[in-house]
Amino acid sequence: MLCTWYFVLGISTLIQRTKYQALSTNKMNLYKYASPAMFYPLAGKMIPWFAIPAALLFATGLFVGFFIAPTDFQQGDAYRIIFIHVPAAWMGMLLYVLMAIYAGIGWAFNARLSSMMASSLAVTGAMFTAISLVTGAFWGKPTWGIWWVWDARMTSTLILMFLYIGFISLQAAIEDPRRADRAGAVLALVGVINIPIIYFSVQWWQTLHQGATIRILQKPTIRGSMLAALLIMLAACWLYSVAVVLIRLRCIILEREQNAARFAEVGV
Amino acid sequence: MHWPDLSMGGYGFYVWGAYLFSLVAIVWELVSLKQRKKTLAQRQSSQQSMKPVATPVLRGSVNETTS
Amino acid sequence: MLRWIVWRDLMLAWRRRADMLSTVFVFVIVVSLFPFGIGPETQLLRTIAPGVVWVAALLASMLSLGRLFANDYQDGTLEQLLLTPQPLFLVVLGKTLAHWIIAEVPLVLIAPLVGVQFDLNKETLWILFASLLLGTPVLSLIGSVGAALTLGLRGGGVLISILVLPLYVPALIFGAGAVEASILGMSPAANLYLLGAFAIVSLLFSPFATAAALRISLE
Repeated sequence: MLCTWYFVLGISTLIQRTKYQALSTNKMNLYKYASPAMFYPLAGKMIPWFAIPAALLFATGLFVGFFIAPTDFQQGDAYRIIFIHVPAAWMGMLLYVLMAIYAGIGWAFNARLSSMMASSLAVTGAMFTAISLVTGAFWGKPTWGIWWVWDARMTSTLILMFLYIGFISLQAAIEDPRRADRAGAVLALVGVINIPIIYFSVQWWQTLHQGATIRILQKPTIRGSMLAALLIMLAACWLYSVAVVLIRLRCIILEREQNAARFAEVGV
Repeated sequence: MHWPDLSMGGYGFYVWGAYLFSLVAIVWELVSLKQRKKTLAQRQSSQQSMKPVATPVLRGSVNETTS
Repeated sequence: MLRWIVWRDLMLAWRRRADMLSTVFVFVIVVSLFPFGIGPETQLLRTIAPGVVWVAALLASMLSLGRLFANDYQDGTLEQLLLTPQPLFLVVLGKTLAHWIIAEVPLVLIAPLVGVQFDLNKETLWILFASLLLGTPVLSLIGSVGAALTLGLRGGGVLISILVLPLYVPALIFGAGAVEASILGMSPAANLYLLGAFAIVSLLFSPFATAAALRISLE
């Protein structure tokens, strides 16, 4: 799948970096793309390759989800919300992990571009988490009768939202960009290590109190066309994320360059 | 292939409400990015116009910060 | 070195005793507010007691976190501590231990009194005491990471809350869970063991995270 391919690319670049010592003029030097100034045009060229397929996949996914997938036996047509809710939830979690990895790499290898990538991922991840929370509530009302149910998944997603907000707030509060990058890295890594602990605690807490709350509805049995729609929407969200994160990354690169230029003129 | 029931079996408010919110969120993200680019472009042009003489910007040294 | 740091922080805090007491006062006041919001019905209060006491403990701890590094940062002592040949995590451990003694132990001692307000029986009060005794080190340790990250920033107090409260949730779940189990007559052992496990894990890892965060904040 696309995410595996992207991940493998990231890991292979990382391995290349750690093994590579001297710059060779003969082979194509991938290292130059570690510089924000060099990556900027490359990102610009990459964006349409992700944005247009994303739009197409969104259209296809929604088509399959609404026109081909049948009505669910238990939940009626209300289940069709999962075609946006589930991909958004997965993207929210995936982007947090990616953010932590990029931030960690940026801190460990002193790579500015990596840290900028983490800052860019944060906003998109927060947005997807927000979408999953709201669409989850919209799904909860017709199926369970109330807008918010404190089940393990929704509660963990809420805490993930808080973690995103914490990361973004911290970076916004620090003026020096390098300190902001590194502080964000520490926070993101602490957060990512805590996520399994938090998920386990919340699940334990929820099952203990389940007697008092509504029985959690099982996910509808995913059949062929429903699964297809779900996966297409996931791929669409994935491609969209890449495109939007790259756009924002370019903005961040420009902003930092402008600020640095301004300070240089003043003679700081 | 079948035409979907637009009222979603009575759950129309929830289904369309959810998708509407998602659409609004995505559009907000794209619009805010566009806004950000515009601000940057404006700042870029005002910086250029303030420069009296064309100075060679040493990309490498300007961007390096002490760490 | 460790002993010296702890002793120094305790001495400094003793000179500003009011700061120590303020944490306890906040705790007591916040807990007392809840019946005003919810109503004085005893059965209801007994049910909400574990959560209320624990959340109030979280909030009171958070307010005290700002003081962990701020005073030393302002007068330059923190920079000097960074330059010592001793490993930074020992310094951090010492300061966190001192913070725990100053800010959290009074909370733990007062908690049974506060629990009486909610009509908890003697055994539950003991469990409340024990859960806070095990849980407050976690609060201090994880909180120290937040305090180090936000050193010298504007709006520090609120920012620490945003960063650190989500990370407190597991401790809250198991701490309040222990007291609740006791109220219902069940064994709180599982909760307390898990809380103890959190305390040990955070003791092992957070001083290093805090030390890294301090270096970042002080360049």
